[in-house]
Amino acid sequence: MEKGKISSLQMAVMLYPAIIATSIISVPSIVAKYAKNDLWISPIFASVLGFVTVYIAYELHKLYPKQTVIQFSEQIMGRFVGKMISLFILSFYILSTGQIVRGYSEFIVSSFLLKTPISVIMASMVLLCAFAVQGGIEVLGRLAQLFAPFFIVPIVIFVVFLSPDFDVKNIFPILGGGVVPPLKGAVVPGGWYSEFFLIIFLLPFLTDVKKARKYGMLTVLAVMLTLVVVNLTVLFALGPTTASKVFPLMNAIRYVNLGEFFENLESIAMAIWIVGAFVKISVFYYVVVLGTAQWLNLSDHRVIIWPFAIIIIEFAFWSLPSSAEYTSYLTKVLPFYGPFVQTIIPLFLLMIAAVRKRKKGTANS
Amino acid sequence: MRWGAFFATTLIIIIIIFIQWPRIKQYSKKDKWAFFILIFIGWGLSMFDLPNMAGPTTWIKALFKPFAPFME
Repeated sequence: MEKGKISSLQMAVMLYPAIIATSIISVPSIVAKYAKNDLWISPIFASVLGFVTVYIAYELHKLYPKQTVIQFSEQIMGRFVGKMISLFILSFYILSTGQIVRGYSEFIVSSFLLKTPISVIMASMVLLCAFAVQGGIEVLGRLAQLFAPFFIVPIVIFVVFLSPDFDVKNIFPILGGGVVPPLKGAVVPGGWYSEFFLIIFLLPFLTDVKKARKYGMLTVLAVMLTLVVVNLTVLFALGPTTASKVFPLMNAIRYVNLGEFFENLESIAMAIWIVGAFVKISVFYYVVVLGTAQWLNLSDHRVIIWPFAIIIIEFAFWSLPSSAEYTSYLTKVLPFYGPFVQTIIPLFLLMIAAVRKRKKGTANS
Repeated sequence: MRWGAFFATTLIIIIIIFIQWPRIKQYSKKDKWAFFILIFIGWGLSMFDLPNMAGPTTWIKALFKPFAPFME
């Protein structure tokens, strides 16, 4: 199995694009639909889910330091129930990886490569990620470390470049509809924040576990700040039309025209965003492969990397006949499915594990 | 039956088996079984018109249907 080791920092830079990459593209408009001009407040509310999930994952890890959730579920709930629960969790990640590939490919095709068959986009990315996953967790960690600046810095630059077009008055009235609209808008990003549970697969391989919780919380903070900034940017640049655009950030970037020199920057935005998607899909792909290998008790997870390449692409298509169907899934199902699998079930496992530990303690004394 | 996707997948699977076999030869029986069963599942799924077929996503959608109206 996996013999590599990564640092907490590498875990953080794997998580940050893994969460952000897809959310900055389509989430602003979804949030705007519910929160209107308060869309920048929603990521702050939703971040609670991120902090809670990191906490739960870390506590579970403390109880079972060398195992991932697929393995310790059996310890907590017994072999059969544990296997069923971890199957449910595992299938969530398999489904999600497929959907992420779909979301990425839809974006690329509809924004840039309109005539390219979507399967070509999917296959090229999955192929690349399969090679990355084959390198193991150390390679993933280093890739994330390498690419993180290429992902973060341009976002800052874009915000700066867009600032001449900012109409700051769009932020008013703040909380004009009360606190409910931004709360409702927080439901969808919540699904993204619960993805922090991915760390449960990475924590067993950390060299400096003590720092993990700090780095985990810091990453949640970083994600929150990024989402707030992106939402504000989109709000200032597009105003009330934000909710009607499918990819508002891309729309905003198309407007950039700085001294007639910096134009058509959306092509650079695409390149950067592909980098982010690459890290995200690789992390999810890795979790799928490692998780399945642990569920089946295989001796090496790398055997199943390539079979999953095909399966992931198939899941990217399955039961999602159109992009409208896909968006409906993102807004109506994932905000509940995601936190259910990644926050509620782990919380449940944690509570049972804590009770069992206490019982064992009193039995021994 | 979507022949295009099926043939493309069959071709890709043949290539995968070709390239990976030297590497998996050394692994245990269980690993080899896992590899081939997953390949088989992938191969089988390619026969269907997946976008319009009911699948796990449909079941999950049904599972969380009570919550959907909240997001209207």
